[in-house]
Amino acid sequence: MEQSTPQPLMIEARNVSKHFATEAGPVELFSNLNLSVAEGESLAIVGRSGAGKSTLLSLLAGLDTPSQGSIKLDGQTIAELDDRQRATLRANTLSFIFQSFHLLPELTALDNVRLPLEIRGATDPARDARHWLNEVGLGERVNHYPAQLSGGEQQRVAIARAFATRPRLLFADEPTGNLDEETGARIIEQLFQLNRQEGATLILITHDPELAARCQRCLRLHNGVLTEPTS
Amino acid sequence: MTLLPRLALRQLRTQLRTTEWRALLLASWLAIALTTLLTLLGDRLERGLLRESAALLGADLVLSSSRPLNPERLTLIDAAEVQQTQVVQFPSMVSNPAAEDTPPMLVSVRAAYAPYPLRGEIITAPPQPTPLPAPGQAWVEARVLQQLGLSLGDQLQLGYSTFTLSAELLSSPDRGTGFRSFSPQLIINRADLDATGVLAPGSRASFRLLLAGAPEVISSLETALRPQLAEHERLLALRTDQPLTGDALGNALAYLKLTALVALLLSALTILLSLRRFSLRQHGRSALLLSLGLRPNQLVRIYLYQLAAGWLLVALLGTLTGVGAELAVQGWLRELLPQQLPPPAPWLYGSGAALGLVMLMLLGLPPALSLARIPVAHLLRGDTPPQDRRARLLHAACLVLLAITLLLFLQTPLAALVLLALLALGGLVFGYVAQGLLQLLSAPLARHLLLGRLLQLRLRQQRSWHRLQSAVIVLLLTLLAVVWISRADLLAQWQAKFPADTPNYFVINIQPWQKEGLDRFMAEHRIDSQLYPMIRGRLTELNGQPIRAQLSPEQQQDNTLRRELNLSWMYDPPAHNELLRGQWWQTTPEQPQISVEQEMMEHLGLKLGDRLGFDIGGQRVEADITNSREVEWTSFRPNFYVIFSPGALESYPTTWITSFRLDGEQRRLATELLLQFPSLTLIDIDQLLDQLEVWLQRLGESSAMLLLLTLACGLILMAVTLLQALDQRRFESALMQTLGASGEQTRRLDLLEFLLLGLTCGLLAALAAELTLMGLQQALLGVAPRFHASLWLLLPLLSATFFVATGLLIRRPLRLEQCYRLLRAGS
Repeated sequence: MEQSTPQPLMIEARNVSKHFATEAGPVELFSNLNLSVAEGESLAIVGRSGAGKSTLLSLLAGLDTPSQGSIKLDGQTIAELDDRQRATLRANTLSFIFQSFHLLPELTALDNVRLPLEIRGATDPARDARHWLNEVGLGERVNHYPAQLSGGEQQRVAIARAFATRPRLLFADEPTGNLDEETGARIIEQLFQLNRQEGATLILITHDPELAARCQRCLRLHNGVLTEPTS
Repeated sequence: MTLLPRLALRQLRTQLRTTEWRALLLASWLAIALTTLLTLLGDRLERGLLRESAALLGADLVLSSSRPLNPERLTLIDAAEVQQTQVVQFPSMVSNPAAEDTPPMLVSVRAAYAPYPLRGEIITAPPQPTPLPAPGQAWVEARVLQQLGLSLGDQLQLGYSTFTLSAELLSSPDRGTGFRSFSPQLIINRADLDATGVLAPGSRASFRLLLAGAPEVISSLETALRPQLAEHERLLALRTDQPLTGDALGNALAYLKLTALVALLLSALTILLSLRRFSLRQHGRSALLLSLGLRPNQLVRIYLYQLAAGWLLVALLGTLTGVGAELAVQGWLRELLPQQLPPPAPWLYGSGAALGLVMLMLLGLPPALSLARIPVAHLLRGDTPPQDRRARLLHAACLVLLAITLLLFLQTPLAALVLLALLALGGLVFGYVAQGLLQLLSAPLARHLLLGRLLQLRLRQQRSWHRLQSAVIVLLLTLLAVVWISRADLLAQWQAKFPADTPNYFVINIQPWQKEGLDRFMAEHRIDSQLYPMIRGRLTELNGQPIRAQLSPEQQQDNTLRRELNLSWMYDPPAHNELLRGQWWQTTPEQPQISVEQEMMEHLGLKLGDRLGFDIGGQRVEADITNSREVEWTSFRPNFYVIFSPGALESYPTTWITSFRLDGEQRRLATELLLQFPSLTLIDIDQLLDQLEVWLQRLGESSAMLLLLTLACGLILMAVTLLQALDQRRFESALMQTLGASGEQTRRLDLLEFLLLGLTCGLLAALAAELTLMGLQQALLGVAPRFHASLWLLLPLLSATFFVATGLLIRRPLRLEQCYRLLRAGS
């Protein structure tokens, strides 16, 4: 399936395969997988547990290397980049939102949001972090520790952290998986609204069809093959 | 084997590969070794020196006096039906008459009448048929033989007499108290004493009456004697006085025990943390076993069996290590100990292992109980029930029980509690100061380096662990540094503060008829010295009234009132004293006048013009205070609290005293002096200081060994605390790499953190050690504080190396492709 818009490509995966060596022999997760994602596009990848969604995400984000094939991220072939260049690419281009929020428990909300800004070497990380916590409605709780925040609030801090570096590509891995329905809905609303505002490319991994439907495009990973789901 | 123990053994076998179990076993091993060492050593010392104090006293009751025993007192005692004997003990120089080049040696001489002793026995090699040396013979300790190059059968010179050495003293009770009990011992027959000429009126000696009998007779005699005791008399009873309690060895033992307590606590903390980590990793397994139908109490038993099996692994090893260490410490102390130590009670060999088992079970019970309460639903949802109040209470109860066990075990609850409180407070302060220092040091790094800014976040993230780690490491390094440095340095410093011409010989017990000859000897050999008369007397009156009634209870405790004073008389003030107030007498005044030492004036509230009354050998002497002096007590020159004007004391029994310095070749004059005046007591200060130095060094080495073991406990604890945070660190590292940091950056960040932490701890320890040493220097020795540059270099280096090495050892590099998987798994 090919992109028909003239938009430049943010992700371009060609003939990607991934297999693992196990004691019982090699296990192939997927092979000859092709995928293009245009800049600013929102894409949902759905599939049942164990289908390899998260592995695909880590490949697309340059966190893992394919067994075969090539992946271009923002025009750069990941396999050609060394550890440092990949780190720079991640720091300047990508952000993640995780199902379990993954905030560092000993740091305040403010420090958690500051962390990627510091890694990037931002000029005023504290100011930026405060701004993004305000954006997600936590301006009054900047000095709270994760344990003092509700699940929804923690995920909002994670969203603030993800947007703080103004990424051009945002990966969200089951962002509402640990939240109740109502809170999850509010979080998703906020996520999409900020994404629209920032114009980032969004790759959302979910098993929730309703959530997937909010993306411009939806693909199903099944038996190692990416297909358009039948509605 | 039934299912539960089998399962426990299988679990243990798999888990022996995990770091937490290795740390747990290592800590238990050290705890068992230390406890074994301490109980064995403590028991032998106590049994040898304290509990067998009847043998040590040589009697059931001892009347000790600095003057010949009062005949009236003896009559009273004669009336009671008790066994009695007399002994005189005094310091004296002995020499080898066949080798004039060998310098004489200071020993503690005991001249006794048979039967002696009344309790315990003198053990000699070869064994002797009589309880005391026959007249003309002497028994000496090996140290005397070695130093003077003598063998049994040789002659030994004491005063004007020579003695044949007929036996080597292996152990002897009634060694006396204090430093004298550690001097090399020599025993002669009382019948030989007068001929030696070393003891004359006014000589320094301890005259003891040893008594033994039925307990009720001794008890009533003690009751009768105690109220009658004169100032110069002491009554030592088996029930109330243990010769070594509060003495150097007693203190050393208490100190060793406290050091061991610190090590045991560190081990307990290590075991606690290891068990916590172990229990966190057992949630899944426990839920699974429960889902398979195992009852909670069976699960508890499995974990306790597992701990017991682990204990078995280390119990033997720890005990053997403890026994080996005890032999090493005893080897160090052997020649310093007054007598051979009895073997320890056999059951004590198991004490370390027993305490180890109690520790493991008490610390292991709470996590085992909480594992038994894991809901089976954990398998489905992966959630863990929060620790409820009952679990916390159980934990607290177990810790309190453990603390009580340790305190009881060490038998010094109060000292241990004070030490614990001090350590806890010190640890708390050090923890927070280290944290502040870390922030301070990272600030300039953060301004210039991107890594520095990440470091600041890391410091905040790890702050509670850093506090614990720095508290433990700073305390341990401080203790180690202080013990190590004070081992040799303090004494050397104390000696160095004296000017080069400080006397190194004292001559005491100079009789009036020897004075002229001695003066001549000194002049002939150009020895710079001055002889001072010395008369012993007790201060009894102030302005015609008994002095005690006029003083506050605090003043009554003043040293000058509690014992006889050495009084003197002279025409001119001593050159080494400074006249502070009043006038020195010009000639021989009609009314006796006195010069009083300034501190004594202040403590007793005396003023110029006051009249003091003294009891000198039962006679009353009065004199007016006309001036006060400042005395440097550590000048190694004869010093006196009270100096009389000439004419007042000449008619009383007087001995003379002097001090002088001999260096290099001149030192042989000491031998010559004794040849000419055999009855003089020559005290070689250098020899005394050498003995003291050996003591300090040996004690320092023993305690340094204990401290090193303690440090090992501390290091294992450190490794465990680093391990506790390891999962969190890996997680943080994965997150950072996902957020854009490179693997190299996270590695450098870890290194920087460990390096900074190590440096901070080292610097703080150097500061704390320097302050402690400064306090010791000021308080104990009164010398100016000295800066120890090596501390400031070595401690940070040592501590930084430790942190970086442990950090690198424990840190496992995280590949990029693992990062996302780790974060997912964390979900």
